[in-house]
Amino acid sequence: MIAVYDLVQQYAGRVVLDIPELHFEPGRRYGIIGENGSGKTTLIRLLGGTIKATSGRIEGFEGKKLGYLPQSPYAFSFSVLENVALALDGQSDAKQLAQKALESVGMENLLKARGDRLSGGEAQRMALARVLVRSYDILLLDEPTSSTDVRSMDLIETTLRDYVRNTGCALIFSTHSPAQALRLAEEVLYLEKGWLVEQGPAEELFNSPKDERTRAFLGHWRLNS
Amino acid sequence: MVKQVLELLFGADPELRQIIGVTLRMSVLSTLISTLLGIPWGVAMGANQFRGKAILSRITNTLMGLPPVVAGLIVFLILSRSGPLGKMGLLYSVSAMVIAQVVLISPIIAGMTANIVSLRAPSINETCAGIGISGSKRLWLTIKECRIPFVTTALAGFGRSIAEVGAVQMVGGNIQFKTRVMTTAIMMQTNMGRFELAIALGVILLIISFIINSLVHRIQEQTQRDSGL
Repeated sequence: MIAVYDLVQQYAGRVVLDIPELHFEPGRRYGIIGENGSGKTTLIRLLGGTIKATSGRIEGFEGKKLGYLPQSPYAFSFSVLENVALALDGQSDAKQLAQKALESVGMENLLKARGDRLSGGEAQRMALARVLVRSYDILLLDEPTSSTDVRSMDLIETTLRDYVRNTGCALIFSTHSPAQALRLAEEVLYLEKGWLVEQGPAEELFNSPKDERTRAFLGHWRLNS
Repeated sequence: MVKQVLELLFGADPELRQIIGVTLRMSVLSTLISTLLGIPWGVAMGANQFRGKAILSRITNTLMGLPPVVAGLIVFLILSRSGPLGKMGLLYSVSAMVIAQVVLISPIIAGMTANIVSLRAPSINETCAGIGISGSKRLWLTIKECRIPFVTTALAGFGRSIAEVGAVQMVGGNIQFKTRVMTTAIMMQTNMGRFELAIALGVILLIISFIINSLVHRIQEQTQRDSGL
């Protein structure tokens, strides 16, 4: 189990994230929702270890394999297949596994295309395949489908459900789409201005939010969708 | 005068050929050494966060604007008979000119390299960290992704080197058939009122400069095409 205690992140003296306590169980899917600047990316990056917290503790990562997909992943200037095989560096069956991972995100027709020449959505799917080609205990995805079209999104969500089922990993993803959180996550966390306002099973949080701020956010989303 | 210039350009004047030879030898050698020093220096600054990076960056930026005569003075004092390397007898040689050029060009290549790398490194580092690639492999990938801009940087260094006059005049001495290069020769011939050779050398310098700029332009165009911009 991953546990977060008194996690605080400040930038230039301004608190951008303050989470007293949080737990993540293996084999479950967690979706983080909230408006821009709510702290979603900061939380993912802190969990991924790419930034260091101002204060607080994150426990449960020792000896665990961690996979992380940043919001703007880099597309290398070699082929899509090689971009994905990069994550399996030195493995004899790297290319076969990479091809399989690319098929799982609907990119089997672009194996030989250059990574840096893909469209935004294609590059995002390639980067996701590059992460999914390996097995992790904890998988962190920062807005993995923000540039993806609707048809690919369905495929990716199915792939992610299968991945969690097969590996037993804890999937923690952020999304700007509450609808995606409802579809994909078993548990949803709602952040606002760096605070964890509410956390609970997806259906429960969406149907009967306990906090007024969560109600307002979801109400606004329903009005606009 | 036009006829004399053309005769010099297309003839077989031994002094002109010798001046061009020394100029190219000095510029190519100093660019090679500066590239070998400047690129690792720039990659280290651009790809990593470390204590002292801000001060190193400030020193590099200051050295990028180092006046050539100051670089010439420093190298002159080091290589002069009473200087720390005086015993090597390098003053007024092509080697001394190369050293002065390296002092001038290495920080320029380092600064440009650091800028190039720092644009890509954060994204490459974060992506690599997410899939468990670290250390030398990550650095190698960063260098590989920057290889084309690195060539442009080296060519810019060569352009700077071939056009340099102040420092090479001070440490080379503009000695005929030994350390005279195109820029110092143009200056001297102009002062003496012998414009034919000065113009011929100026034309050759412009042609070389045009070729370098064309190469840089072509590489930049290729890079943009490759990245789909």
